[in-house]
Amino acid sequence: MLAVKNLTKTFNTPGGDVMALRDINFAVDRGQFVSIIGKSGSGKSTLLSMLGALDTPTSGSLEVDGVDLAKLSSRQQTSYRAKTIGFVFQQYNLIPNLSALENVMLALEFGGTKPASRRDEATRLLKQVGLDEQEIQRKPTRLSGGQQQRVAIARAIANSPALILADEPTGNLDSETGQKIFDLLHKLSRSKNTTIIAVTHDLDIAGKTDKTFMLKDGKITTKQ
Amino acid sequence: MNVVSRGIKNATRSPLRGGAIVLMLAISIGLVLSMMVARSSVQTKINDVLASAGTKVTINAAGINGFAGGGNPLTADNVTTIKNTAHVASISSTLTDQLGSTDTNLQSSLELGSFGERQNRFSDGSVPTPPADSTSNGSSTTTDRQTMRSRINVTGTTNPNVASVNGGTLVIGSGKTIDGNSSDLVALIGQNLATKNNLSAGSTFTAYGKTITVNGIYSTDNSFTDNGIIMPLATVQNLTGQPGAVTSVVATIDSSENVDSTVSALKSKLGSSVDVTSEAAQAENSVSALKGIASLSLAGVIGAAIAATAIILLAMILIVRERRREIGVLKAIGGSNFKVIGQFVVESLTITIIGAVVGLALGVLVSGPMTTALASSSSNSSTVIISNGSGSTATVARPAGDFGGFGRGLNQLRTNITNVTASLTPQIFLSAMGITLAVAIIGSLLPAWLIARIRPAEVLRTE
Ligand SMILES: Nc1ncnc2c1ncn2[C@@H]1O[C@H](COP(=O)(O)OP(=O)(O)OP(=O)(O)O)[C@@H](O)[C@H]1O
Ligand SMILES: [Mg+2]
Repeated sequence: MLAVKNLTKTFNTPGGDVMALRDINFAVDRGQFVSIIGKSGSGKSTLLSMLGALDTPTSGSLEVDGVDLAKLSSRQQTSYRAKTIGFVFQQYNLIPNLSALENVMLALEFGGTKPASRRDEATRLLKQVGLDEQEIQRKPTRLSGGQQQRVAIARAIANSPALILADEPTGNLDSETGQKIFDLLHKLSRSKNTTIIAVTHDLDIAGKTDKTFMLKDGKITTKQ
Repeated sequence: MNVVSRGIKNATRSPLRGGAIVLMLAISIGLVLSMMVARSSVQTKINDVLASAGTKVTINAAGINGFAGGGNPLTADNVTTIKNTAHVASISSTLTDQLGSTDTNLQSSLELGSFGERQNRFSDGSVPTPPADSTSNGSSTTTDRQTMRSRINVTGTTNPNVASVNGGTLVIGSGKTIDGNSSDLVALIGQNLATKNNLSAGSTFTAYGKTITVNGIYSTDNSFTDNGIIMPLATVQNLTGQPGAVTSVVATIDSSENVDSTVSALKSKLGSSVDVTSEAAQAENSVSALKGIASLSLAGVIGAAIAATAIILLAMILIVRERRREIGVLKAIGGSNFKVIGQFVVESLTITIIGAVVGLALGVLVSGPMTTALASSSSNSSTVIISNGSGSTATVARPAGDFGGFGRGLNQLRTNITNVTASLTPQIFLSAMGITLAVAIIGSLLPAWLIARIRPAEVLRTE
């Protein structure tokens, strides 16, 4: 469902050009759980931002279900981000003045869910990731890191995306909580046949995924 | 939750900072409104003064100013000439005289004081006696044997209202007014003079050897004027033995466009023995201070509007910078530029509207006092003559404050200028709202542009 061909990304900085990605090629099937590992600065986040249409490649192509992301208009990109992609970030990135429930409702709004059904749908999603009735009313600052990441996952899956992109989703959590979050993602990929691409430093986690790519200086060095 | 409710909610996100921004905005917007009120009130007053002064032309006998000076009064022929000049709609004529203690049983209500004594140092012992020829033969007009008392002003006029200091109707405190066109032995007595001599409506007094009946008591806010007697013009002409003579004529011109041409026509017809002056030119001078205030308040309106725009702009730039990451998140999870910008525009509008409501309320409250303060400071700095209110030093040679001449015009202007009333019209209020709206729009445009430029990939950057 995902095919990356000759993908290159160069950043122009005042100190000269930075080649974050060099001639990347890989493919992922529907429902696969893929992990990306690599040293800091190897280009993992840059690759995810290309896949999530947050940024455009310098050259090469990215095809998701046969659609070339580089050829989308900005309106189509927005719609792609809202409906086809779900993002999970290392820093959770929840909107601080909205409750857990409202954060999930926000994603539903962007995805085009009717106003009347947003609240029930968001409640269902939050219960699914393991938050109770009282916790879903709280603002992010009044939730633990693990709980916040659960809210972020509920937000990511709100519009039943085909692809979930997670940038070090367990990076800020202790290993036990990180394991639970990973299991949650895993379960989702199985139950809904959602493709997941997760960047991780945790080799234990990487070992349990269907595929692992290793990035080094913007190049894929190992595929397994 | 939608774009609008999120925007409103965000406006109250940090109450302390939001409150400070709202307060600063409110002060600027309040200033915009009150400056607009001040400007329009002053402008209205300028127009009023110019319009009311605009059609009056004063014709004085050359050398005579009020009760002082020398020269010959205008003749009946002169008055007829004036009356028959094109565009002269109506005239009121005045003959002034003064009573010394041998002319009347009345006592002046004005103490001589050091000013009066100085004016009387020329005394040669002669005194006008009825039927006096003193006012018509120059040098002896400023004399009085009774050097310890000032004299009493006598105004013979076809229109008693010319004595009103503010140019309106003469205020008659008790009794009734007189018919300026009669030749009866009746008089209006100034409040101070009446008190001094225990006169009331119906009393009589002696002057020029005749018994005169008091018809009414008038009062102005001018001590000099209130030490006077007003009688019909013909009565004074008869009593002083000057048939047909007048010292001053105020002609009302049919329209303000014709004032200049009529002034020239009168000058050429009457020659150098008369001074023809129009109040329009004088009024123009007198309102120059008000015009200064008007342009000052316009600058105030512009300045305050710019300040309000700067405040909302800075506040929004601050907010956008601070929520850079949040904006990136909104875009990354599928928020369109339209929705994200819309949310911030609503936030900026909410802050501006709250600021506007508070500010307009503030403006309504302060616009009155502010206009008054501005206008009264203008009357102090203007060239208008302000007389000593106690009147204790006022006497024969007082330069202004005569009946019917220029002094009246000046006094009228003085009263007008200090009487600027703040009026908050719906139009001003709407314009202030319009300015506020413009402020809100400008205050949203730059943040919108900044938001549009934030890359969603920003969220993946670790801080
Ligand atoms: N916007 C940018 N402008 C300039 N250079 C950039 C930009 N984004 C990334 N880079 C550079 O591209 C390279 C890859 O960065 P990237 O963030 O993808 O690394 P990463 O593998 O995610 O690292 P980490 O594990 O620390 O998150 C780095 O050298 C980085 O400095
Ligand atoms: Mg990274």
